[in-house]
Amino acid sequence: MKKRTYIYRGFERFWHWSQALLIFFLALTGFEIHGTFSVFGFENVVRWHDIAAWAFLVLIVFAIFWHFVTGEWKQYIPTTKFIKAQISYYITGIFKGAPHPTHKTIYNKFNPLQRIIYLGLKLLVIPVQVLTGFIYMFYIYPNNPVNVSGLSVIALIHTFGAFTLLAFVIAHVYLTTTGDTPLSSIKAMLTGWEVVDVDEKEERTKHLQHAVDESAAGYYRIDKEGNIIDVNEAWLKMFKCKDRSKVIGKHYSFTRDKKNLKELDDLVKRVLNGEVITGLPATRQCMDGSKGKHLLSANPVIEEGEITGMEGFILDISETEELTEHMYYAVRNSGAGYYRLNEEGIITDVNEAWLELYKYDNKEEVIGKHYTITRRPTEVGQLEDTFKKVMNGETLSGKLAIRRCKDGSVGKHILSADPIFIGNKIVGMEGFILDISEIDIDKEE
Amino acid sequence: MLTVKQSQKNFIKLLILFIAIITPWVIGYFYVKNIKDSQKADKVKLVNYKKDTIPKVNHSKFEILQQKFETPQQVTEACLSCHNRTGHDVMKSSHWNWTKDYRTDSGDTIQLGKKNIINNFCIGISSNEPRCTSCHIGYGWKDHSFDFTDSRNIDCIVCHDRTGTYKKFPTGAGYPVKEVKKFGNKTFYPPDYNKIAQNVGTPARQNCGTCHFVGGGGNNVKHGDIANEMNQVTKEVDVHMGLDGANMECVDCHKTERHNITGNLYSIASADTNRVSCERCHTGQPHKNTIINQHTKKVACQTCHIPEYAKVSATKMYWNWSTAGKFNDDGSVLIKKDSAGNMIYHSLKGSFVWKNNVKPEYMWFNGKAKHYVLGDKVDTTKPVQLNTLLGNYHDKNSKIVPVKVHSGRQIYDPVNNTMILPHLFGKDSTSYWKNFDWNKAAETGMKSVNQPYSGKYAFAPTEMYWPINHMVAPMGKSLQCTDCHSRNSRLAKLTDFYLPGRDYSSFLDWLGFGLMFFAFVGVVIHAVLRILK
Repeated sequence: MKKRTYIYRGFERFWHWSQALLIFFLALTGFEIHGTFSVFGFENVVRWHDIAAWAFLVLIVFAIFWHFVTGEWKQYIPTTKFIKAQISYYITGIFKGAPHPTHKTIYNKFNPLQRIIYLGLKLLVIPVQVLTGFIYMFYIYPNNPVNVSGLSVIALIHTFGAFTLLAFVIAHVYLTTTGDTPLSSIKAMLTGWEVVDVDEKEERTKHLQHAVDESAAGYYRIDKEGNIIDVNEAWLKMFKCKDRSKVIGKHYSFTRDKKNLKELDDLVKRVLNGEVITGLPATRQCMDGSKGKHLLSANPVIEEGEITGMEGFILDISETEELTEHMYYAVRNSGAGYYRLNEEGIITDVNEAWLELYKYDNKEEVIGKHYTITRRPTEVGQLEDTFKKVMNGETLSGKLAIRRCKDGSVGKHILSADPIFIGNKIVGMEGFILDISEIDIDKEE
Repeated sequence: MLTVKQSQKNFIKLLILFIAIITPWVIGYFYVKNIKDSQKADKVKLVNYKKDTIPKVNHSKFEILQQKFETPQQVTEACLSCHNRTGHDVMKSSHWNWTKDYRTDSGDTIQLGKKNIINNFCIGISSNEPRCTSCHIGYGWKDHSFDFTDSRNIDCIVCHDRTGTYKKFPTGAGYPVKEVKKFGNKTFYPPDYNKIAQNVGTPARQNCGTCHFVGGGGNNVKHGDIANEMNQVTKEVDVHMGLDGANMECVDCHKTERHNITGNLYSIASADTNRVSCERCHTGQPHKNTIINQHTKKVACQTCHIPEYAKVSATKMYWNWSTAGKFNDDGSVLIKKDSAGNMIYHSLKGSFVWKNNVKPEYMWFNGKAKHYVLGDKVDTTKPVQLNTLLGNYHDKNSKIVPVKVHSGRQIYDPVNNTMILPHLFGKDSTSYWKNFDWNKAAETGMKSVNQPYSGKYAFAPTEMYWPINHMVAPMGKSLQCTDCHSRNSRLAKLTDFYLPGRDYSSFLDWLGFGLMFFAFVGVVIHAVLRILK
C-alpha cells in the first residue's frame, strides 16, 4: 500500500541541501586551488575554501547530533539482503519496468546500495576529507604542528577524495530520477513529502492505537488476576481519575460498588474462558465516589495461544440515560464499528463490525468513497457538521446518528469521532460506532 | 484542511528554515568582503626605524683639518687623532681585511674572502692587486707586501666624503691621483683634501656606490639589484631608496656599530651572522592576511617583494672568458656592443650576455654558503658552483630567496682538476691583458697563491649565486599568489616539496577526471536506455 508520507524532516532537508551546496562550492574553489582552472583568483578561493570548510564542519557536528538524537543513524546500517537484487534492478530490471526490489518506507528510506554508499561517505570519504583538509589548513611547513614531511600525501588524498565525491554527486543526481516519477525524489527532498510504501498491518495498528488513545471511548486491559494493566485517557476521564499510576496495577474491583461487583466478577470469568462480550451496560464507581453509566465491551487477550487477560472499551452513556435500556439490547447484538476518514472525507478504513452494521460484504466496496454514502440525504448535514467540528480539532462522543446501509435500509447508532493528527496537522477523522437500532426500530413499529 | 493558525505556524517554520539557510552565506559574503576592504587600506607597518638627519659635529670647525694636506695618509692621521679608537675598529672589518671567518668541510676555520677566493667575473685579485684594490678602503695594496696593521693606510674619506669629489684611480692600488690623469675617456683630478676633510659625514649612497654599484668593473655588472642609478632612483624601482619614496640611504638598513657594517653578500660571505633583515623594521608578521604571514616561515620577504631586478640598467648574466683574445684586423682591441650599448665582446675579457628586468631564480637558503677554495678539485661536466647557497625544504632555517645566477666560462687546469687564478693585470711579460697568453697568465697567477699548475689549461662552466635584496617593488607590485601557485610557477625548479596549485599527480588527475567522465557517460547511457525502453 502506498501513501503520501512525511519522510524528510526539516533539519534533514536543510542538512542535505546545505551539504550539497557546500560540496559544490568546495569542489569549485578546491579545483581552482588545485590549478585545474583560474577564475576567481587564488587568494579568494583559498579564503573561501577555508570558510566553507569551517561551515561544513559545523554542519557535520549538527548532523551527527541529529542522527543520534532521532535514531536516524539506524537507516544507514548496511545490509547485504537484496543488494544483488538492487544491483540487477539498476542493470536490467529498470529497463523492463520491473518494480523496485525493496520498498521505501519511513523506517527504511534507503535501499541496500544507498545504505552502503551513504555509510561509506559518512564514515570514510567525508572524515578523510575533513582530516586531510585540516592537516592541509594547519600544517605549516616542517614539524608544525603535525609532523608530516610535506603536503604531498595529504594533498593527493584530499584531491582523490574530491574526485570521489564528485563522481558520487553525478551518480547520485542521476539516480534521483529513478523514483516513481523522474522528479519525485527531488521534490521529496525539497518538501519532505513522498509517496512511499506503508506496512498495512503496521498502519492499521498505528491508527487503532491512535484511535484508542484519542477516542472518547475508554479502553482498558486487565491481566488474568484482574489487575489493571492499561487504560487510556478517556477511561481515566470517565472514572474521574487524574493520575494513571493510581489505577495501574490495582484490582478491577475498586471500579464498582459492592452491588455491581458480582456482575463484573462473572463477566471477567466468562471472558477469561474465551467469551466475547459486547454492549453490556454497567454502573461504574468513580474515584471520587460518584457513579456513572457506560456500555462495555470485553474480549480476551490472547498471547501465543493462551488467554492472558481481558480488554475492551467502554462508552459513556450517563448523559443519554433515557436510552440506556434500549442501548443495552442494541449494543449487545453488535460489535463496535471502527471507521477512518481522510481530510477530504473519503473513507480510508473500516472494520468488520462496521461492514456488518452497514450491510456491506467487504471493505473494497466502501474504501475510497465519500462519507456521504453513509447517510440519507436528509441526514447528511448532521454528519457534515460533525466532520467539520472534528477537522477543527474537536472530539465528539455519544452522538446519535441514523445510518444508511448498503441496501438503503437505515439503522441507528451512537458515534464517537476524533481528529487524526500527523505532527500538528489534522489529516482525517476516526472513531467508533455502537449500534442501537434494534430497539428504536422496534419502538417505531 | 488546515486551520489559519496552523498555516501561520507552517509559514513561520519555512521562514526560519529559509533564514537558517541564507544567513551563513550572507555572513560569509560580508566576512570576505570586509577582509578585502580592510586590505585595501593597508599601511606598511614599521618598527625600529629612525633616521638621523642632523650631523653631530661640524668638521669644518676643527683646527687640525685646516692644515695643508699633501698626502691622503695625512688626512687619515688627522682623523685618527680624534677618532683614536676607530682605526682599530676599521682594521677588524671585512672592508679592510677582505676576508671573513669560513668553516671548511674538514671543520677548520680559515680566513676567506676576496684575498683568496675566485669568482667568475675578473676571477681573483692575487697578482692583479693594483687594479682590484682601487676598491679597497686603504692606500697601496699593490701586492702581498701590503701592511694590514698600519692604520695610516686606511682610506677614511672614500666612505665619508660628502663633497662627491673624491675618487680613487682605477689602477692605483687604492690611491687617488697626485696629478691630473686619464683612464679611458675619464679624467681624474687630485682631490682637495682640505675641502673633503672639512665636509665628512655619514656615508651616503654615493659613497657606498662608488665601489658596490660598479663591482666587476662596470655599472651593475655584478649585483643586478644595486647600480649607479640608485643615486637618482624612483620608488617604482626601489621603494626604500626612491627619492620620491622613503629616500633611505644604504646605512639606514645596513646598521653599523664601530665600523662593523651589517649585511652579507654570499658571493664571499658564508655565515648566518651580521645579516640585515627586513623583519627588523617590518616585523615577521607584516601582513593583514594570516595565510600570507604564515608564508614568511618559508618564503623570504624578497621573494615576493622583488619580482624582478636590473630594472634600469642591464646586469651581466654570462661571461665567457674562452672567447677573449680576438682583435680587429688592424690589431686594435675589438669591442662589440648591443643595441642598448651593453658591451657584448671585449678582446681582453671575452663575450658577455646582459639582461634587463630579470626574473630571479629561486633557491632554498638558510643564510650559510660554501665557497670554492683554491686547490679544491672540480667536476667540469656540470657547472662548477663557485659559491653554493645551502638549504632545502626540510631545513627549518631555510627560506626561498630570489637569486641572480651568474654563469661563466673560465680557465681551469684539466690535469689537476682545479680552477685557475690567472694573472690578468700588469705591465709585465706574463699578464694576460698585455700578452694574451693564458699559459703564462695561469703560471704567474697560480704561483702567486702557491698553487700548482700543470701547464695545461681549458675552460670550464661555472656558476655564482647572488641573493637579491634590493630594488624592492612598491606595494601592489609584489608577486601574486599564482606567480608561484600555478602550473606555470616561478618556483618550478624547487621540486623538493608539494606546492598547492603547482603540483599534482597526473596519474591521480587522470584517474579522477576519468572516474567523473565514466560516471557521466554511464549515467547518460543508462538514461538513454531508460528513455528508449
